Amino acid sequence: MMAFVATVLGSFTTPMRIGTDPVSMLWLLPLVVSIAVVYKSTKVYRIDPWPFVKESAVLLGSIIVFIVVAAAILYGLTWIVTVQLPSLLDKSAF
Amino acid sequence: MTQPSWKDNRALFLISTGALAWLVPGAGHYALNEKRRGLVIFAFVVLTFLVGLYVGSFGVIDPVHARPWYAAQVMNSPVVMLLGRVGAGDHYRVFGRANEIGQIYTSIAGLLNLLCIVNAVYTAHLRSVGESKA
Repeated sequence: MMAFVATVLGSFTTPMRIGTDPVSMLWLLPLVVSIAVVYKSTKVYRIDPWPFVKESAVLLGSIIVFIVVAAAILYGLTWIVTVQLPSLLDKSAF
Repeated sequence: MTQPSWKDNRALFLISTGALAWLVPGAGHYALNEKRRGLVIFAFVVLTFLVGLYVGSFGVIDPVHARPWYAAQVMNSPVVMLLGRVGAGDHYRVFGRANEIGQIYTSIAGLLNLLCIVNAVYTAHLRSVGESKA
């Protein structure tokens, strides 16, 4: 039992190895689930399992859609500033 | 000797509800007989905090080098202050993506608990106002 407790506590003393690749962005999903559930738990009048899960899922979907749209807009802006704008400036009379 | 007025009792009621909600996430709602709500809050806030702690280790709770994050983390529970003493030393310093994700998870868990504390106090306020009108 003590060995098990020591192993569990020991696992909290060493950080995980997480790369900086795009897959690491998936770490936002569990966080968004938590945000959606806790926020909805403070907002709904009564917590009945099925309606609560449904409302949380709707909020979860809304947040993810918003994040994807924001990411697409930021990616587009970056593409314009880093690719399109320099080529336009090169062709100008200045 | 005069009896404490209903206002004094109400203030004590609100403060104790808020303190309880801070001490144990979800306990404020649980004490207000919102048992399901309290259990959901407890499960998700604690799970989010533990995931952050597992990803980044105790080092993500650092009251010296990461004070703004610590301010949000401490909203989880006063227990975080004890963990902060462990994380403040140089034994558990953590860097890179694991540190970022760990800090974000633990801080968001704290801010979610702050939302729940405010909600529990507000619910207690509505109840006490309703009872005083009845």
